Amino acid sequence: MGRIIWNTVYWTYERATWQYDLMVAAILGFIWLTPPAWLGDPTASGRGFLGWLLHFFR
Amino acid sequence: MTFTGLIGAICMFPLRVIISLCVRLRIHPDVLTFVGVLINALAAWALGVGRFVLAGVVMIIANIFDFIDGKVARERQIETEFGGFWDSVMDRFSDLALFLGLVYLYSTLGRTDYVMLTAVAMTFTVLTSYARARAESLVEKCKVGFMERPERIVLFMIGAFTNRMAAVLWVITVLSVLTVGDRIYYTWSELNRPKSRAAA
Repeated sequence: MGRIIWNTVYWTYERATWQYDLMVAAILGFIWLTPPAWLGDPTASGRGFLGWLLHFFR
Repeated sequence: MTFTGLIGAICMFPLRVIISLCVRLRIHPDVLTFVGVLINALAAWALGVGRFVLAGVVMIIANIFDFIDGKVARERQIETEFGGFWDSVMDRFSDLALFLGLVYLYSTLGRTDYVMLTAVAMTFTVLTSYARARAESLVEKCKVGFMERPERIVLFMIGAFTNRMAAVLWVITVLSVLTVGDRIYYTWSELNRPKSRAAA
């Protein structure tokens, strides 16, 4: 686990590797799933996918 | 082939056509670099007035110029050291212009917090390229860290097209800080490697 965290922080992977794809997926997940309100986004509004899910299961 | 590799390969098809067109028209790569910067300034204006989709479209056009200049130079066999220097300096200008557009936007919206976040992102963006340039005057190569210019540009486009610029700014800031840290650590460890191992 410690090794995974270290390899993520100390990034030495090339582009177009599976590690790079995984990082891209994590970033896109954060960008598109986080509700804009959680970040106090000055230009976007709405719940976002994560907020919608939380609302749906509440 | 990985997913990002596939996207890169698909994007290369139209770019190859544009590159060969520029080679045939004998357009100088330094001119392409400069035109790219001018178009990027337009993207910065669009960000500044909150027209994100327009900014995204303009960024795509600007970065086509930015991407093909080196390839055109290579194909025409007119690569020069000055061309590389000119490209690097203009890249920094393009980067900073986009951030300045966002600083203007958030200041007009009265959002000091996001003005500050953009300023921090801008600072570490400059430090990312400075750290590598300075490190490579001491060690052979310093290409560690995730957040380089292509990643930043694509993130800007995603933020613009999907109106998620705040999240994009957080990602750029955090990963730029880590990238600068990575480059400092890498340079330190390379310089402190035992000389016998380094020579072997």
